[in-house]
Amino acid sequence: MAKNVLVVDDSSTMRKIVTRSLRQAGLDFGDIFEAGDGQEALDVLEKESVDIVLSDINMPNMNGIEFLREKGTRDGIKDIPVFMISTETGEDIIGEAKSLGAVGALKKPFTPDKVNESLGPLM
Amino acid sequence: MEEFSDIVPEIVDAVVELFTGMIMMDICQDGEPLSKPGTMKDSITGMVGLAGTHKGMLAVHIPKELALAITTSFLGMEVEEINEDVQDAIGEIANMLGGSMKSILSDKGKDIQLSLPTTISGEEYNFVSQADVGVVVIPMKAQAGTLMVQLELAAG
Repeated sequence: MAKNVLVVDDSSTMRKIVTRSLRQAGLDFGDIFEAGDGQEALDVLEKESVDIVLSDINMPNMNGIEFLREKGTRDGIKDIPVFMISTETGEDIIGEAKSLGAVGALKKPFTPDKVNESLGPLM
Repeated sequence: MEEFSDIVPEIVDAVVELFTGMIMMDICQDGEPLSKPGTMKDSITGMVGLAGTHKGMLAVHIPKELALAITTSFLGMEVEEINEDVQDAIGEIANMLGGSMKSILSDKGKDIQLSLPTTISGEEYNFVSQADVGVVVIPMKAQAGTLMVQLELAAG
């Protein structure tokens, strides 16, 4: 069954690009939800049926690391997989994200081929 | 400016990768690097700050027509004026180039932090560097205009 996706990024342009790239990559997905920071993402996860989260790291209010940490404390949503899409490439930050449950990471800028390669197995 | 000679090709590669891979727009270096950008006219500038082992700023100065073309390509819809969508798109360009700069300046991007992006735009403005920073400005030409990537790094 097609998975519902939550795209989390403070840039509305980047949220559109991620969504378009999923389509261009030929990945099968259901509903797309959007959030502008980690707090908004938590609110969406509490209300909607989301199968996978694609999240930026550097965001105002609640960043991607804080989002992972908070999500991990909430029973109803803690097992929803999160994949990081960010300009961050540092092993320290990506390592911290993975230690908090992130299932993978993709560096911006990316191409639809990279999206397919990285997210295909998860979708 | 000589201190940047080693990394200018890597910066050019990062811009080309971004434009060809994500914006679907051809772009190439347009002449030798400069030491200052000059007066911006009818343009928008996106910038991010660098902190940590390398302190400074990465800015990308983009003429209006090229900024509109970039945003149109990003969003898949025609954009005719500099608005919030254009500001957001150009801020994201600066953010992604800043991310590439981290990898260029530091092994695997460690120990450098990026600020959130900021944009400024106007009919005419100057971008003035402080005296104690090194500056390199790289002109890059696309079909809709020539942008300039400016890197400033504090000495030491």
